[in-house]
Amino acid sequence: MDANPIVLDESAADVVVVVVEGEHDIYTAPTLRERLDEALERGGGVVVDLTAATFVDSSVLGALLDARRRALDADQGYVVCVGAQVEPGVQRILDITGLVPVLPVVGDRTQAIEHARDGVRG
Amino acid sequence: MTVAVAPEVRLTMPARAEGVGVVRQALAGMADALAFNAAVVADMKMAVTEACTNVVVHAYDGEEGTLEVEMLADDASLTIVVRDWGTGIQPRPHRREAPALGLGLPLIAALSDSFELRGSTKSGAEVRMTFIADRAADPAAANPVTGGVGDDGRWEPEAEPPA
Repeated sequence: MDANPIVLDESAADVVVVVVEGEHDIYTAPTLRERLDEALERGGGVVVDLTAATFVDSSVLGALLDARRRALDADQGYVVCVGAQVEPGVQRILDITGLVPVLPVVGDRTQAIEHARDGVRG
Repeated sequence: MTVAVAPEVRLTMPARAEGVGVVRQALAGMADALAFNAAVVADMKMAVTEACTNVVVHAYDGEEGTLEVEMLADDASLTIVVRDWGTGIQPRPHRREAPALGLGLPLIAALSDSFELRGSTKSGAEVRMTFIADRAADPAAANPVTGGVGDDGRWEPEAEPPA
């Protein structure tokens, strides 16, 4: 079993959630890029859920930013969520890079899905 | 007279992406033994990851090479040295395609209590980072990551920070 899975959750109508768990860096960033590509190809909103992620580095931020740009270009909603209790290995890099309002990053998944859906409509 | 023996870890491995997590685990084990503050440990893991990633992505131009990491502890701090024998320090990354966001060194500067970069254009490079167990201040306040996301989606050091 993969200790650091990245899976698509398509249970929400017209928004795909990319669920990222565990530690992620340059080794798993290519897999994240593939999953983000798959999610964007669905054509609806995309949420990246980092609630169960314990560590992300700049390679992961690069993948998240590239996906964000593609979503913006295609008028697809795109939101990252981190949950209520954020791991230091996730919160710190988001804070010091100032990317919380850019990506954007919100708390819970339900809110993120709503925002991503609004992004599609808007 | 007793002579204290400083804990010391030295890792040598191929400079490949899968090795970066191994370095992080070794560091976590050493930090546990030293009972460092959790926030400092988180910063150490991030900074050492970025330094190792720089070696994997930039040092050997896609050829095989070696990544060497040393962790040297004393009573009050942990120094981590990340070293390669590759193409040396480039003034700017000559390739900017994925996965290089260009944030590695700014993050190391913001997360470490002090750091030093050594190297020349042909003899490899060395990043030496020191982390203090009991910090008086957040190093990210003194060395904030500057810049922002440019129009191409990559990090631009001169870009306006996000509002």
